[in-house]
Amino acid sequence: MSEGEIRVRVMLPRALLEYSGGEDSVEMTAGTLAEVIVQLNSRFPGIGERILDDRGQLRKFVHTFVNQDSVSHLEPESVPLHPGDTVHILPSVAGG
Amino acid sequence: MADVRKGDTVIVVGTRKGLFIFHSGDRRNWKSRGPFFEGQTIKHAILDPEEGRDVWAGVVTGHWGPTIQRSMDFGESWIRGKRDPHFSKESGLSVDRIWQIQPDLDGNLWAGVEPAGLFRSEDGGETWASVDGLNYRPDRREWQPGAGGLCLHTILPYPDDPRRMVVGISAVGVLGTNDGGRSWRVMNGDVRADFLPEKVTEEDQIGSCVHKIVRDSANPAILYQQNHCGVYRRQRGDPAWKAIERGLPATFGFPMAAHPRKAGTVYTVPLVSDFNRVTPGASMAVYRTTNGGGSWERLSTGLPQEGAYLTILREGMRTDQNDPLGVYVGTKNGQLYYSRDEGESWETMADLLPPIQSVDAGVAGGP
Repeated sequence: MSEGEIRVRVMLPRALLEYSGGEDSVEMTAGTLAEVIVQLNSRFPGIGERILDDRGQLRKFVHTFVNQDSVSHLEPESVPLHPGDTVHILPSVAGG
Repeated sequence: MADVRKGDTVIVVGTRKGLFIFHSGDRRNWKSRGPFFEGQTIKHAILDPEEGRDVWAGVVTGHWGPTIQRSMDFGESWIRGKRDPHFSKESGLSVDRIWQIQPDLDGNLWAGVEPAGLFRSEDGGETWASVDGLNYRPDRREWQPGAGGLCLHTILPYPDDPRRMVVGISAVGVLGTNDGGRSWRVMNGDVRADFLPEKVTEEDQIGSCVHKIVRDSANPAILYQQNHCGVYRRQRGDPAWKAIERGLPATFGFPMAAHPRKAGTVYTVPLVSDFNRVTPGASMAVYRTTNGGGSWERLSTGLPQEGAYLTILREGMRTDQNDPLGVYVGTKNGQLYYSRDEGESWETMADLLPPIQSVDAGVAGGP
């Protein structure tokens, strides 16, 4: 790993494993949540559409965390990542 | 092709919790396959009517958005295209659900979506192009959703003219094109709209709550419409729709199906009203006209006649292509009824399915 490179881990939910070929944990270099999604879609074509809607926004019932912190309410471009972060992409709780 | 044999009648059933496929060589003994896409909603699924091989499914997950998927082996495997139908980023719209998948005779595949939009694929579902002349009409800002959402739920290509098409949008109305989709005109004349101050829509007025439209098999210039507020017929050249409700127990309902060979023969399933969307008299019946809506006959032999508070959705009825005709009706309560004698008598194919969203019927290998 070169100096300044931001290596993060991305945890994928079961529903998206058909896109990732079964990989539920992916490592990559990314400085923002938006870059994570771009790289995921590059590696696993189609997975980006499952996470973002046609407007490029996180889907309504997709919940994202950086480590333990929810970032679903933020624009993916405005979510900075730091070396060693873990990004969780999860379905939000549906129903009551 | 799994255990489905060429010549089998194939029933494709989309439900709130997955896709089921039933097939039979004699329409008496049925085998089932699935569920596929367990736990996911299938608003619409079809068997390609020409080749009788490809099954197309509009799959909606609660979290991850809609996809259109295709199976060429009756559910053994499924493939996605490169990209599903989608609006432009600048439009501010995003596809939530796939309501209709419809092939035409020129090899195109069409998709109707929510929020209301029409898309065409010329490469077998790999990529989709927005029909901008409809999707971004200036009056779109006035489009209002029905109870089911603002959905484009009916796509009727014209059999002999690829420039012509009619679509149905709830609660916008019927729109038609004669120029391949570049321009569209509203076709809502004389349709009741009890929910509007004027109670009836003018021809070019949006706001009609169309539920389903079908073409007459012998004369595709004739349309039949099940609307929120009535049942109608219209022929090309007519200035407006004509009510054809005499003989029906209610004017509300969702599904319609046309006989694939007999002129003027259409099936519908009336429900009590928009405030009570169940079968009238707690009894299940399909109604058939054989004279273009001049009169209707009640078909109920074999269907439950007591305690049957059933709801049938807009894609819940379809015919096959056999002779005598098979008719298939799926309920939101989970029953799948069928007739192999044009509706004269009925049997139950399944009665404990998840809520049925769509039914399609065809013949493996084509008719």
